[in-house]
Order: sequence, then C-alpha cells, then structure tokens
Amino acid sequence: MTSFLQYTIFGIILGAGFAIAATGLVVTYTTSGVFNFAHGAVGMIAAFSYWELVANHHVPVVLALVIILLIGAPIAGALVERVLMRRLHGATAERPIMVTLGLLVILTGVATIVWSPKNQYQLSPIVSGSFRQVSINLQYQQVLTIGIAIALVIGLRFLFSSTRTGVGLRAVVDDPGLLAMSGASPDAMSQYGWILGFVMAALAGVLLALTQEQTGISIVAMTLLVVNGYAAAIVGRLKNIPVTFIAAIVIGLLEDYIIYYALPHLSQGLNSDITLALPMVFLFIALVMLPSVRLRAVGRLSTVRVPRMPSGKESLLGGVAFFVLAVIASVVLSSAVVRGTNLLNLGGEIMALGIVGLSLVLLTGYSGQVSLCQFSFMGIGAFLMGKVAGGGSLLGLVAAALVCAVLGALVALPTLRLRALYFALATFAFADAVDQGFFQDSRVFGGGINVGRIVLPGLSFGGNRSEFLLLSVIFVLVALLVLTIRRSLFGRRLVAMSDSPAAYATVGLNLAVTKVAVFAIAAALAGIAGGLYATVNGTVGSSDFDFFSGIIFVLFVTVWSIRTVSGAFLAAVTFVVLTTFWSTGLGLVAGAGIILIGRAASGILGIDRLSTLLPLPWVKRASGGGDSGTLAGIGITPMGGEARVAG
Amino acid sequence: MSPVDEPRLASEPNGGGLPALTVSQVSVSFGGVSALTDVNLVVPPGTVTGLIGPNGAGKTTLFNVISGLQEPDRGAIHFFDTDVTMMKPYRRARLGLARTFQRLELFGTLTAGENVQVGLESTVKWWQWRHLRKALWRNSGAESARGDSTAVDALVGSDALAVTTPDRLLAEVGLGGMSNEQANAMPTGLARTVELARGLAIGPKLLLLDEPGSGLDEAESQALGTLLVRLASTGMAVLLVEHDMELVMRICDRILVLDFGHVIATGTPEAIRSDPTVQAAYLGAGSTSGGTQ
Repeated sequence: MTSFLQYTIFGIILGAGFAIAATGLVVTYTTSGVFNFAHGAVGMIAAFSYWELVANHHVPVVLALVIILLIGAPIAGALVERVLMRRLHGATAERPIMVTLGLLVILTGVATIVWSPKNQYQLSPIVSGSFRQVSINLQYQQVLTIGIAIALVIGLRFLFSSTRTGVGLRAVVDDPGLLAMSGASPDAMSQYGWILGFVMAALAGVLLALTQEQTGISIVAMTLLVVNGYAAAIVGRLKNIPVTFIAAIVIGLLEDYIIYYALPHLSQGLNSDITLALPMVFLFIALVMLPSVRLRAVGRLSTVRVPRMPSGKESLLGGVAFFVLAVIASVVLSSAVVRGTNLLNLGGEIMALGIVGLSLVLLTGYSGQVSLCQFSFMGIGAFLMGKVAGGGSLLGLVAAALVCAVLGALVALPTLRLRALYFALATFAFADAVDQGFFQDSRVFGGGINVGRIVLPGLSFGGNRSEFLLLSVIFVLVALLVLTIRRSLFGRRLVAMSDSPAAYATVGLNLAVTKVAVFAIAAALAGIAGGLYATVNGTVGSSDFDFFSGIIFVLFVTVWSIRTVSGAFLAAVTFVVLTTFWSTGLGLVAGAGIILIGRAASGILGIDRLSTLLPLPWVKRASGGGDSGTLAGIGITPMGGEARVAG
Repeated sequence: MSPVDEPRLASEPNGGGLPALTVSQVSVSFGGVSALTDVNLVVPPGTVTGLIGPNGAGKTTLFNVISGLQEPDRGAIHFFDTDVTMMKPYRRARLGLARTFQRLELFGTLTAGENVQVGLESTVKWWQWRHLRKALWRNSGAESARGDSTAVDALVGSDALAVTTPDRLLAEVGLGGMSNEQANAMPTGLARTVELARGLAIGPKLLLLDEPGSGLDEAESQALGTLLVRLASTGMAVLLVEHDMELVMRICDRILVLDFGHVIATGTPEAIRSDPTVQAAYLGAGSTSGGTQ
C-alpha cells in the first residue's frame, strides 16, 4: 500500500511537470493558432541556460531564474512572433508546422554547438531538503513543482476568462480584424501570447530538468521530455487548460504505474523500449481518441503558385538527360574520394534519399498531408533489406515496400478523420516511437547490420559505379512514376483533396480511401529507399534514421520545393553533402532555410523572382486570360484579358 | 399564402413522382444558438426552388445539412426515396446531389478543366489501367475531348464521363477556351461558374447553388438564370440560395423564406413578393414592390 501511495505521489509530481509543459502549448495555440513544435526545444534551451548560469557560472538561483524566465524567454518569444510568425498569417496549414519545426532544429543545432553532447550536465534542486509524510519522503522541490503547476492553471484560467487581456488574447485567433475594431492591437496580443508561451516553456524546461538530477540533462532528452505534455494538450483539445491539467496528471500517474507495475514483468530490453516510447504512445492514443473533425467549407482558395507539370514526353526526356549526367558523373567521380568517402557512394545515398524526397512530393506536395515519419519507413525498409533473404536481395526490397505500405496504411487509418495539424502530430509520435522503441533497441540494428549489394541474375552491382548507376535508374523511374501519378486521375484527386476537402467530398469522392492510398504508396517508396540506402552503405545503424534527421530532411525538401521532383533531388543533395561535410550545421541550415523562405509554399524553386531571373523550366509562366471574345453559351465576357501568373 | 408546416409530397410542378429532396423537421443548433428550427422543405424534380432570407437566416446551414457537411440535431433528409440523414457527403454526391458554396471551394491549384474533370471522373476507380495509361503521355486530362454528346441535358443522372468532357462542359456554361486557366487565378464570377460546372460534372439530379450570382454583372446574371431554367427543364431539381431578388423572382417556380432558422413563408414568386410577413422580416416593413435588394 505504501509503495502504491508512493508511486501515486511520484506520478502526480511527474504529471505536474507535464502539466506546466502542456499548458504552455495550450497558451501558445489559444493565442496564436499555432502548435509550437519548438516548445520542447525552448524548454531545453532554458534548462541548459539554467545549468550554464547556476552550475557553470555560480549565479544565484533566483537571479538565474529571473534572467531566464523574465528576460530571456520573453525577449525570445517576442522576437519569434515578430520575425517568424507574424508574416505567416493566412499561409497554408503546413507552413506554421514547418516553421516551428525549423525553429526546433535550429535550437537543437545551436545547443549542440554550445553544450557538447559529450559532456555531463548535472543540476541541483532549486530548493533542497525533504520531509516525511505518510511513510514517504517528499522533496521540497517536488512540492514546489506541484504548487507551481496548480498556481499556473488557476492563474491562466483567470487570465483567459476574467480579464480583458485574456479575452483579447483568445480573440486574436478568431478574428484579428474584429479585435482591432474594438480598440486592441492584434499584433500586440499575438506577441503577448508568444511571450507567455515561451515563459511557460522555459519554466517547464527548468522544472523538468531538475527531475533529471540523477541522469543529468541531454539535448535530445530534454527536447523530447516536453513532448510528454503533448498528449495532455491534445486531450484538452489545445484550448481547455483545466482539462489539460487533469489529463497531464492522469498521464503522469499512468506512466508511473506502467513503469513500476507492468514493465518489470517484461524483459529488460522491451522494458526499456516501452519506457522510452510511452510518451508517444500516449500522444498517439490521445490523437486517435479525438472526435472526428467536421468537414467544413473554409472559403479560402489556395494561393499557392504551382509548378508547371511537364508532359509525359518532357518527363521522359528529362529522365534520360538525368541518367546521361549520372553516367558522366560516374566516370568523372569513379575514383574521387573526399574525407575517406567515395563520392559515388555519396551519389548513391543521394539517389536513395531522393526517393524518400519523392515520397514526400507525393504525400505532402500533392496531397497536402504533412508526414514527419518517412525516415521511420526508410529505417524499417533498411532493416528488412538486411534481414530478408540474407540481405541484398530483391526480395528484401519487395518486403520493404509491402511491410511499409501496410504500416503506412495502419498509421493513416486511425488518424484519417483528423485535421492537418493532428495528422502531422500523429506522424511525429509514430516517428519518435519507432526511433526510441525500435531503432534504438540493441537487438534491432545493434552496432549496425550488414547489407550486401543488390544481386540480379546475370548482373553484378558490387562496384561503386554500377551501384550508383542502378540507383540513378531507380531514382529516375520513381520520379517518372510520381509525375505520372500527378498527371493521372489519382494525381488530380490528390491535389483536389489538398485544395478543398469539403468540395472533394461533395463531388462524390471518398477522402479516407484517397488518404490511406497515398500514405501507403509514400510509405512503400520510403521503405524501398531505405532498402537501397542500406545496399549503398553496406552497413546501417539506428543513427542513420533518427527522429531529428527525418524532420530535417522534410524541411530540406520543403525549402527546395516539396511540389517538384527537382526539389526532392536537391534536398537529398543538400542533406547528404551537409551530413558528410558539416553535420553540426545540418539542423541550422535546414531551420534557417525554412524560416527564410517564409510563406513561399513552393520553396526556392517556386519563388517568383528566381523564375524571372532564370529560365526555370518547371515554373509556370504568365499566361493569357483565355478566350477574349464573348463566351459561348451564356455570353460571359472574360474579366480582363491581362496575363495572369498561376498562383 | 401562409407559412408551411409540413412538406408537400408529389404536389409540386412535375409532380406525380417523388420529390428530389424532402427536408422534414430539421433542427440544428450551435452551442445553444438555434440555427434551424423544424425546417420543412420539398424540392420537386424539374423545378427551380428559391431559398431566401436575411444574412444569418440559416440558408447555408441548411445547405450543409442537405449535403452532409453538418449533422442535424433532429429531423430527416430524403433524397427521392432514400433516407440520407446520416449518410456521408460523398455518398450523397454519388446518389446525384451536387452543390456549390457561398464562399468559393474550388480546387485552386488545378486548372478549370481539371476541376471539372475531377467531377466527371468521380465514379471512376483510379487504378483502372486506361486512366493511368493516359497519364503517361498526356500533360493534362483536361484538354482531351472524348464522346460525341455535348449537351448539359445529357448529364442529368448519367455517367457523366461517358457523355461529355471538361472542355465541352465548360463551354456549355460559358467558359469555352478557359480549360487551362488555373482556378485560383480566375476572377470570382468565372470561378463561381467553374464551381457550377464541376457540380454539373457529377451528373446531379439535385443541384444546390449557394449564391451563384455573387460577383456576376447583370448580363452574366441573366445568362446564369437562363442556364438554370434550362437545367431544370431537363428534369434536374435546383435549390437556389441567392440575394439577387431579380434573379430569384424571375426563374424560381417556388420560393421558401427563412428567418432566424424558421420557415416563415413559401409560395410562388408573386405570392412571396406580396406577402406582408416576408416584407416585414426580409424585404423591409415599408416595401411593397419586392424589388431587388
């Protein structure tokens, strides 16, 4: 009984930490309409800043807290709102997701440079000492955490329901114009919201860091620790603070009970996997339990500038030209080695990652489904390639495609009815759960699994050049497939579904079937890419498919252009080159890129000014207004014959 | 003329058969605010029925209920003899119920032709080889023409893809030669016409039009009226929400007036024009002519 009470109290303490993180997310969402994926990273920076001030520079605790919570976090929140978020008003749904993910990888990138992951970072409690109550030792620090969580919930509840500022903060999301007419400044309100959100993220980061006094804090763990709060925030539908608080406490209790009662009965490896994956499992369950979102007419036309679709003949010619260039590159670079790496091997990696990029073109570029788990399918594909038929077999590729397609459909099925943000969060949860619970398991990749080169009857791809050319051919074929899909009936449906789900349903088309189909196809492509990637490298391990790399790759594809095969290829080039030659800057470049392109939904390749400077074949030129005479049938005269640029 | 309490079955123009649409005792509320209260409505085939009322009267909510985007709190919707009250929107569309939206819901990054083609192909399975094969060599399916029939008339309740093409259908609604225009670059009036063509593309038996005249000038509005009357003459049932009273009074066989979610009157245009309840609630208490608003 005593142990149950003990676990219960520890669960409540854990839940209180989650509650602080979760309410911060809710505050940001309520006041800006943006789900801040960087919330955990902000908390992580705050935690490391606290360590820097208190443990490294011996600044008094109170002064350190003032510097972090009352100076640093508010300034950072205000800056992020002013520089990044304000210009996203009216942008497509995936844009704030990408920008906050960009912020996430920038902050983790900066942290990696400032606080080397090789060092240990230990923290002492803000208030030391403990007392004994009902046979349980409680630390004052733990009581402080619970007290802060309760005070925050009460304070925020009061702020949002009983003060003019709080009502203004909520109103700015609903109708900034109307708010302005009532005398309040929407920009100022939005900025207050981000300041409040950052302060709460920082507070959660510091308090959660203090619970890690035995293990010390690490960049990845601290960033993901706040993710524990995601599930609670989702239960509270990102708007209800008391419900979020209660959900956080329940999740804290559940996590504690599972860890102490259920997991000891499992084997050591499985026990550890489940512990690490629990937050994401909770998040996934919370998402699945959300009620269906009602299809609604939003009355907003997509203003995206769409790249010109090449015809089948143009695509084929482009593919042939690409392959000729690949042949030339294979001759020129056949013996080139940089930093101990054969450049043709890097070329092979680029082709494999290019196929992952193509899966994103199909899934996100065409159908508008933001997926953050393509690297998970890639890793699963690589694993199967190494395990099926001794490795290097075509059967491995087939298995990778089939298993990933089924897994993709299984991930998509329960989240079909959710809107874009929740769908992205579900893929986020899946990616992290697969990484923590499967890839990191020593029994899966261990020190790395060996995968032989592909063997075909009568053909050998053992050499770097032949392997590179094989992958080039496969990349071209997949690119042609993706373009063919876009030109097909299915492709039109993907774009239509992305542009207006409500209209899509009312012309008699089933959203669920289309979503599952495209997710399964994209997962299969990523699985194949993983298998091919494994054959290029010879050895693959968990670090090749880690969670953050997957997010960074999505950002690179978005930065170049998630709507074109060229964008997928250039993203793969950027990713592989940076990973090989400047891995520290990988996240920084991706994050900076996504922030710099702002709301340009078609990426660098779709930027208007670029298309006027360079003869880019994929950019749609200004076109005439069509028939300039009186139109047939009902006598409508076209309004204006001026040239219009698509999008 | 008096307010209607019950749906009238098979007593409308072109009666003798089932009404295309029967709305019975439908109520919807949002957080305690009643948007529709016990609404009854009958739309017979081959007629244009007007649905008018001030802003906020519940017209778009009723459209959402009929098309399946909004579940009613109570009441029933019948499409001919099929109860579609709990049916998903795409299933209703497959039965032949098409709609347009008050605020444009086009597939903005597709061309006008592709918008219509998505509608035409709505009954086709995407994995069918003949459609995939076309994609291999064609830039866009919108330009191609197949089939010999061109008439919108032939679309009603038909396998649309078999009888027309995007180009021809666009030409039928007055957008000939505009197939390759990207939808989100089109002026509002033309974009609304694309939305209408897309609705027609599914071969509807019932067409719900939510302010299709918005953004059109007088000549265009005239042409729209002509087209709607022509559609009705083919047997299609048209339910029209429109603020252009001139258009409504000219083409509608019957008109139903909503106010604060209640049906306050129904009848012929002449009866509605002279109804004092309507004048007081909708056209303004001092109005006697029922002119345009």
